[in-house]
Formats: sequence, C-alpha cells, structure tokens
Amino acid sequence: MVDLKELQDKAKEVISRDDVRRLIGWQRGTYGFESAPIVVTDASDADKLIFDPTCVQNPASFITLEEKRPVPRGQEPDTRKVAVMVKGCDSRAIVQQLVEKAYPRENVIVMGMPCRGVIDRRKAAALFGDVTPDEVKLDGDKVVVSLNSETKELARGDILADKCMRCRYPNPLVSDELMTEEVEKWGADEFADVDEFEKMSPADKWKFWEEQFSKCIRCYSCRNVCPMCYCVECVVAKLKPQWTRRSTDISENAAYHVQRAWHLSGRCIECMECQRVCPVDIPIMTLNRKMTRDVKEMFDYEPGVDVEAEPLLACYNPQDPEDYIM
Amino acid sequence: MSEEFEPNIVAFLCNWCSYAGADLAGTSRTQYLPNIKIIRVMCSGRVNPLFLLNALQQGADGVLISGCHPGDCHYLEGNFYARRRFMLMHKLLEHVGVDPGRVNMSWVSASEGVKFKDVIEEVVTSVKEAGPMDQFRRRQLNW
Ligand code: SF4
Ligand code: SF4
Ligand code: SF4
Repeated sequence: MVDLKELQDKAKEVISRDDVRRLIGWQRGTYGFESAPIVVTDASDADKLIFDPTCVQNPASFITLEEKRPVPRGQEPDTRKVAVMVKGCDSRAIVQQLVEKAYPRENVIVMGMPCRGVIDRRKAAALFGDVTPDEVKLDGDKVVVSLNSETKELARGDILADKCMRCRYPNPLVSDELMTEEVEKWGADEFADVDEFEKMSPADKWKFWEEQFSKCIRCYSCRNVCPMCYCVECVVAKLKPQWTRRSTDISENAAYHVQRAWHLSGRCIECMECQRVCPVDIPIMTLNRKMTRDVKEMFDYEPGVDVEAEPLLACYNPQDPEDYIM
Repeated sequence: MSEEFEPNIVAFLCNWCSYAGADLAGTSRTQYLPNIKIIRVMCSGRVNPLFLLNALQQGADGVLISGCHPGDCHYLEGNFYARRRFMLMHKLLEHVGVDPGRVNMSWVSASEGVKFKDVIEEVVTSVKEAGPMDQFRRRQLNW
C-alpha cells in the first residue's frame, strides 16, 4: 500500500526543487472509476496527488505533449526538468520514448510506482452502473470497492483491466526513485487472444473489422492519448500529400486504423490507453497485440524494455524472416 | 459475368534491379501479363507502406513490391529495411481480413527478366483467386 502522505511529501520536495518545472501524476477523478491526471506546478497542489487502482492514465503521454514555442529573443529556454509518476506499464512508454530519442534522459525525473493493477472502467460500469465509488483499493487477491457506505469485494479479474491480469512488468523499468517497495510479478502473456482471433477466416475477420471500423468517428482520442503517438505532424493530419481523407467512411477508417497499427508496430508498449478512451468501444488492442506478438515472434523484439535497444524498424538483421517473398 | 476478372495490380519496382529486370523482360521479348501498373521507385526501401494502403483504397486489387536480392541493394541495406516493414504490413493486412495473396513482395535482379515474368504470373494468379478488392476501396473518388 502506498502511504499517500509520504507520496505527497516526496512530490512536494521534488516540485520545490529549482530545476523542476512540473510534476505529472494523478488526482481524484470527478466521476466514475477513473482518476484524473494532474500537472503540479506548485507545492501546494501536491496534496491532491493520489495513487490507487483508479489511476489508469498513462502520465508518460504528457511528457511529449508540451508545445515547443519559439523562445523570444533575449530569453533563455526553460530547461527545467519534468517529473512524472509512472506505473510499470507507463514506464515502458518512457523507455521507448528514450529509445526513440524523444528527449534526453536527464530531462525527466521518473518517480516509479510499483503497481498491482488498475480498474477497467467498462468492467466496472457493467458491475456497478454509472456510479462514483468512495474508495477503491487492492487487498491481497481482492479488489475492495466502497460505495454508498457499503463495501464489496471482487476478484481481481472481474474488475481489473486485462492488461493488468497479464502484466509482466508491474515494477517500473526505468525510475530515479521507487515510491514504494517493488511488488511481486504475477502475469504471463501467451497471446491466447491473438491466436483465438487468427482462427477466423479472412472473410470473417473482415466482417468483424468492417463492423468495428464503421463505428469510428475519427475523434483521434486513441492517437492523442497514446504515449508513442507524439509525431509533430501526424500523417492523418497531413494535407499534402493527404494519405487519408477526413470522411468517416469504411475506406478511410480502415486505412486510418491500419496505418496507426502499423506506425505502432514495434513501438506499442500495451498500456491500452487507446482502447480505454475510445468513445465507441473499438477493440484497438486486437490490432496492436497482433503486431506485438508478431514482432516478438519474427524479430525477437520487445519494445519499451531496454533503453539501449535500437528502434525495430530502424535496424535489420540479414537473417530476418522472408517467408512470403518470392 | 461471363468475362473473366482481370485484376489491377500496382507494382513498386526499384530502379536498379526489378525495374531493370522488367526492362530486360521487355527488350528480350519475354511477354509478361499486362495486369500490372509499374511505379518506379529508387529503392524498395523507399516504399512507404502507406503507398500500398493508398493503392488498395484507390482501386488496386493487389500490390507487388519488388527490389534487389538481399545483399545486392544499390544502397546496400534499403531492401533489408523494406523486408522488415512489409513482413509486418503483410501480417497486419492479413489480420484485418485482406486476403494475403493481394500483398506480394519479390526479389528480382536486373538479369532476371524471366523470373520477372514468372513473378507477375504468380501475382496475377493469386490476386485473381482473391477476387476484386472492394474491402476498403474508396466509394467516392471525386469529392
Ligand atoms: S478513439 Fe475510437 S472513435 Fe476515436 S478515432 Fe480512435 S478508434 Fe476512432
Ligand atoms: S497504441 Fe495504445 S496500448 Fe499501444 S502505446 Fe499507444 S495507447 Fe498504449
Ligand atoms: S498515428 Fe502515426 S503519424 Fe500519427 S502520431 Fe501516431 S505514429 Fe505518428
């Protein structure tokens, strides 16, 4: 369990440092089973910080979001650091951003939060409906939800996100300081869901995706929330050349989803943020996990685990598989 | 329909090997099937997988990417990068239900005019089997 007081004091200490500009973490959400991200710039705000199973957001997404405005003449650029609190999966995003040289390592202070799982809002809504719980905590193998002064105990799998049930990296892979003790690992990932999906015939697969893609309203939430989607100009926003048009018909939607899954192959660190935020419940991870599995199988590569690694598509091995090439 | 389906195939050929191979097929009067529309690129590593998606959106029934044999790339390693990329794209398209026969890749050197003809035959056959591509073809072309 995290001692909140300790965490907030630690955060205060960090944000009060002269070389730290802001701290990104979680605060109590206003509604439902999810926290809200918070950017702390003043020590007095640090008391709002929390850490519990509602802390679903990936704060690593915010590091690259900052707009780089031109520095006015006569002023020095602000080179102060950004502190960020990360769970295990979030830390992989930082590793991958470092692999891609998104920013230098010394620009960020990583506060590691060993984690035992977060809530899936869809599972929670199915169980409880549209409510806001008073408290959610993990107690051993149970998730304890307090709601209207009643408490309810649930098995972890009933309410925690799928990614948490198969999590292999609950402890941050990169951090300057761990806020609590490391937790024991429990997960394994056999990609059974991918295997299951692959049993379908091409026609059935398309039928499934046609239905899913047709729902997409191209709000680009999935892209905006993704820690790996930090291109200054995204291809879907480009007008010259315009690769995908903005109309939400099946052709453009399919192209959008295929291109996004392709841009994230060998980069997606499976934080599942994209799928979480989708307003129309498109199973985006079904694409991403297929790529993760294949990348691992074909190139023995796992993104976001090794800061020294080279980006998958920026290197090659002369012995790479080429079974379908004539 | 009594008429047989004639697929429309876009082929991205690298300037140094496959395009020269196609040229050799032409100059040595080796007939290859006319279903392919060739686009010459400087290297197979220059082919962005979005080209392929865009071709399928704009009415191609299949695509072919062809470059120098591994190790023979004019730019030394372009085709190695291309190979990784298109292995992944091939798998991804298969996953969304695009017939894998529509996405083809080959290594054809400048001296392999006959191989070029064989490759085209094979590609045309596999795309014919897959049938017309209407999964994500653009319905409104002029908007
Ligand atoms: S979040 Fe969902 S609806 Fe929005 S663009 Fe992504 S897939 Fe489409
Ligand atoms: S694609 Fe989705 S799961 Fe992968 S890194 Fe981006 S938000 Fe996370
Ligand atoms: S979808 Fe592709 S281009 Fe757009 S932000 Fe993500 S990685 Fe960049």
